[in-house]
Amino acid sequence: MLKKGWLVIICIILLTGCWDQRNFKNVKLVLTAGFDLMEDGQINTTVSLPTILRSSDGAGQERIQVVSAIGRTPRDTRDKIDRKISNSFAASKLEVLLVGEELAKQDLYPPLDVFYRDPRSNLNAKIAVVKGEASEAIRLKIEQESRISKYLGGLLQAMENTTHSPGENLQLICAEMFEPGQDFVLPLLRVNEEASLIEYDGLALFNERSYTGKDLDQEEAVLMMLLNGQKGKTARMTFKVREDGKQRIMNYATIHVYRSNSRINVTTSGSNVTADIKLHMRVDVIEYPKNHLETVKEVKKIKKELKKQLTQKSEEIFAKLKDTNSDVFGIGRRVAAYYPDVWKQLDKKNYLENVTFNPDIEIVIQQHGIIN
Amino acid sequence: MGFFRKIFQTGEGQQEKASGPSVKEPQQPSFLKLSANIDYLTKALKNSSDLKVRILNDGKAALLYYESLADQEKLQKKIFSQIESGRWEEVLDLPHGKHTENLEEALKTLLTGHAVYVQEGSTTLTQFEVTSQFNRSVEEPINERVVRGSHEGFVENVMININLIRKRLMHRDLTFQYFRVGKKTNTNIVLAFMDGIADPNIIEQVTNRIKSVTSDAIFSPGYMEEFIEDAPFSPFPQMMSTERPDRAVANLMDGRVLLMAEGSPTALVLPVTFFMFYQSPDDYNSRWISGTFIRLIRLMSFIIAIGLPAFYIAIIGFHYEVLPDDLILPVKGSINEIAYPPIVEALIMVIIVELIRESGIRLPQPIGQTIGIVGGLVIGDAVVQAGLISNLMVIVVALTAIASFVVPSYELSTTLRILTFPLIFFAGTLGFVGIVFGMLFILIHLCKLESFGTPYFAPVAPLRIKDLKDTFVRLPLFWLDKRPKDAKPVKSKAIGESREWTKIERQQKRK
Amino acid sequence: MKDSRRGNNSQPRTNTSRPNGNQKNQKKQKLSRRQFFFVIIQTQIGVGILSLPYDLHKAAGKDGWISLIGAGLVIAVLLILIWLLAKRFPDKHLFDYIGILLGKFLGKCVSLMYSVYFIFVASLVLILYVRMINIWILPLTPRSVLIVLMILAGLYIASSSITVLARVYTILSVLLVFLIIGFSYVLREIQLIYLFPIGTEGIMKILQGMNAGAISFLGFVVILLVYPVVKGTDKEKLWTIMTAHGFVLFFYLFTVFISFTFFGSEELKLVPAPLLYMLKAFEFTVVSRIDLFFLSIWIVSVTTSFTSYLYMSGIGFSSLFNAKRQLPALIVSAFLILFVTFLPGNEEESIIKFSTWISRGGYLFSGILPIFILIIAWVRKKKEQGSESSC
Repeated sequence: MLKKGWLVIICIILLTGCWDQRNFKNVKLVLTAGFDLMEDGQINTTVSLPTILRSSDGAGQERIQVVSAIGRTPRDTRDKIDRKISNSFAASKLEVLLVGEELAKQDLYPPLDVFYRDPRSNLNAKIAVVKGEASEAIRLKIEQESRISKYLGGLLQAMENTTHSPGENLQLICAEMFEPGQDFVLPLLRVNEEASLIEYDGLALFNERSYTGKDLDQEEAVLMMLLNGQKGKTARMTFKVREDGKQRIMNYATIHVYRSNSRINVTTSGSNVTADIKLHMRVDVIEYPKNHLETVKEVKKIKKELKKQLTQKSEEIFAKLKDTNSDVFGIGRRVAAYYPDVWKQLDKKNYLENVTFNPDIEIVIQQHGIIN
Repeated sequence: MGFFRKIFQTGEGQQEKASGPSVKEPQQPSFLKLSANIDYLTKALKNSSDLKVRILNDGKAALLYYESLADQEKLQKKIFSQIESGRWEEVLDLPHGKHTENLEEALKTLLTGHAVYVQEGSTTLTQFEVTSQFNRSVEEPINERVVRGSHEGFVENVMININLIRKRLMHRDLTFQYFRVGKKTNTNIVLAFMDGIADPNIIEQVTNRIKSVTSDAIFSPGYMEEFIEDAPFSPFPQMMSTERPDRAVANLMDGRVLLMAEGSPTALVLPVTFFMFYQSPDDYNSRWISGTFIRLIRLMSFIIAIGLPAFYIAIIGFHYEVLPDDLILPVKGSINEIAYPPIVEALIMVIIVELIRESGIRLPQPIGQTIGIVGGLVIGDAVVQAGLISNLMVIVVALTAIASFVVPSYELSTTLRILTFPLIFFAGTLGFVGIVFGMLFILIHLCKLESFGTPYFAPVAPLRIKDLKDTFVRLPLFWLDKRPKDAKPVKSKAIGESREWTKIERQQKRK
Repeated sequence: MKDSRRGNNSQPRTNTSRPNGNQKNQKKQKLSRRQFFFVIIQTQIGVGILSLPYDLHKAAGKDGWISLIGAGLVIAVLLILIWLLAKRFPDKHLFDYIGILLGKFLGKCVSLMYSVYFIFVASLVLILYVRMINIWILPLTPRSVLIVLMILAGLYIASSSITVLARVYTILSVLLVFLIIGFSYVLREIQLIYLFPIGTEGIMKILQGMNAGAISFLGFVVILLVYPVVKGTDKEKLWTIMTAHGFVLFFYLFTVFISFTFFGSEELKLVPAPLLYMLKAFEFTVVSRIDLFFLSIWIVSVTTSFTSYLYMSGIGFSSLFNAKRQLPALIVSAFLILFVTFLPGNEEESIIKFSTWISRGGYLFSGILPIFILIIAWVRKKKEQGSESSC
């Protein structure tokens, strides 16, 4: 039998066609790509292609090439880009995918289809919406950052860690795109041309598969994430807790959410849907310029004020959601799961309007740093 | 079933063939006449110049011996001291003499270094053992060093080796059987086993196989190995060679059989399993936790040694997607300007390493080390500078080479390095799929392989969970109370209750 | 000479299956019950595993997992019947007693049908495996290379005794543990709510789903061929069969559960290989794209179930021609498999048609025929009397 084994090996050596060999050195890696919608409905793809020049000791200089092409579909633009660059285009290590605002306002699935269909694509790529054009963000020259993908990837990762964005990747939004009664948010980026920076600008609210044009601002984003039980590594919020400070700075307190727990409970009566959102947080006060947190009374006061503010803010979030029918909390899916009959009667387009949200926020201040 | 039948039948066939010639031992009764006896012997020994014939007692007696084999001092002490004192008759009756009336037998003993005393008018030939021995001292074997434990090693003299074993294993069940193999070389082969522990079937099998060897020359156990192993076409060694008496004894006590040959310091252990090659006496001499750790590292080295270059090629040539984001650009940067495809790179590098290794062994030691430095550092660095081979490939191949030397057994280490090649080809053709098939073929082969009727890949296939205690890990010795079952020991219990004292002491404390 | 010994020995030896038992007659190796267990599960878990959640979902919507449990229970009953059949002939396998029960001619016909069926299943396994590999990692590699490699691996395993086959299966089962661990990683991202509302898809759909579920269990027919060479009493063997079945059911349920809860009902419709697809989205610090590693592990699973079918068809052919040695029969079946594999072509439609026909055949050969044979055995009161008649 062993002879047979050797025979196989010999045959293979002789037949070696290396049919599927794609030498890594012969590809141009695309680490960041951006899609924009042109006025005539075509897609404009912009990619940044890093090239590392080898030096005798370790990795050497890095050069970035930004190429864009306009075509009918993303695949079409890929092929067009391929004709402009040396080696072949490889999107399989894509790290960040940016979608221009206008394109996002349309159905988001079609431009992403190519990623879902290709076995080589990286579904782990982070995705974000850019206010304005995605190509602007990719073309941005940033002195201090070696490459845009690292910058964007790092930025989005940091936002995920600080509970500013849910850390969606291509795969994770897919289920939410298709599932009725559940919507998603994507981090929204803004290009700051003067400072030559890219800024996180809140969360873009999606309804079904398209961007509603409305956003949650940065602070709302954190609270929304906490309400939805998606705390990142840290979560911080600053609130105005008093009016009587001598200086403006004295009116504020920053809390650090140490642990949070949220529970969403959906009940129906007739076709009225009520969502009780219970958020329990254990927080540390990490900045309180007014100081003097000596007494329990003082702490209680802050706590009360914080609770008020948080509830108020969450009401604002709910209002925005209702306005856009962006069901980030998946209320619709819950109704469909537990009350399928009620779900059938609901108006799928605008059901969120009639949902009553009851936020119930509980906070425990467990420490306030090493001074009072 | 057919497989076993085949083995069984060929075994029987060999037995018949073997028993044929061995029955006809040549016989030649000795003559009464002294000269006839001497003539016969000198003629049979082709008048070799080193054969000495000392005529004694005015031509009435003669002493024959090879001056190259006999020890003059022994001759003096045993025979000439008697002769000088003039007691001729007593020479025949000296207590250390052995009588025979068969000239052919005398001839054989002459060749082993005996002196033969012949007297006029007597058919009795007296043989005296006067063999001179030139022995290397018992030293630690270079290729099986240990940190703690015995530093003795086998030498070229089989009697000393037996002595080393007997000293460690003073039990009446320890049995040695001698065989003369090699029609011309007449090499003394010794089979050692523990009667009552070793499986009699295996002993019978080994005996049959040894007897069936009809080669003219057998120099060392390595020669025997190819004649008697089950699957000579397999890349895996099916007998383990060792130069350490302590290792030999440990294996005897596991119910295995030892094969030694005169003139070679290597003993062959059989039957073996794959995992035995990864055990070292060091494991048992150190604490069990560190023993386990080191053994796990050794087994990991197996995977690295055969699979790492293939894995790297598959990634670079086929599936670079699996590189994590942070690694992708450094890797890309290092291979971007390499001229050759990864498979060529790997082959060049692996062959360079083999060249350096081989030249390092052949050259005298001080130069050998220089070669290592020149080869390893200078070539390695220059080849990267020149852009022929990426620095990652150098890392990969160097790591592979190091990993292959971790195996305590030299044979298996060579096997591992050879097995790298087919896997490299598989990976270069089909990527991960190729590696999977390559590994699968190796694994199936290991599962199929049998060493003297015992599965080679035991205790993993067939799985024996109890024996795993001393395979991937090395649990405390008092838990290894059963002998491993792969050698089919007759008596499986090895350790009785040995830590009873803990209970007793605890009871005493309570009182 | 050896065979007669086997006949005599197997009866008293059944209950002395302790480790000491295998010392004396090493020439006549039998499978341990653990090996039996792994032979069953490795035969059952194969190509289907990657697409099972999709198939179930397609038939029964999000209640597919209920169908799977249902199918598991039905199969459990079937397994008891099969055990009753196998138990009647403690020293014979399926092809041996078909002839006794059905008469020589009819027996040969049924044996031939079985062998042909095994060949078709084996080629279906090959077709689906090659398709998956072509789609996922090696789009340009010729199908024939992948097929020939797999056949050679199968032949290499099957060409020696069943004990070696069982050994290989046992050690390869370690990989299943890796699969389970890897899939467990996905548990972080699942949403249980996708399973709700439970049971709203309707009984009809759930029953249809049972069809898809039952197909994934079909490898159990291997029991009929391996049963006689397993150590242990009949009861112990039944226990082994049932635990193996339980394990496979658990494994399937686990995969179905995570893919249902990961993708949600709507997306799952788009993903024919959900298990791979969901791993694609994860990245670890050391490696990313673990789907490629899992595909590799899956190839091994495919090899084992392919080998089982190859082995079974080999037994079938050798008993058909009363051949003493099995290797020629194996090679013949390997060539037949190679031939059949190229029959349906590369088009998706014809492959689906091919696979539907073969899974229908599965009901006949794994369900109806064994029961039929069992009934005949009952009616004709044929039963092997211990060591009286041995092959």
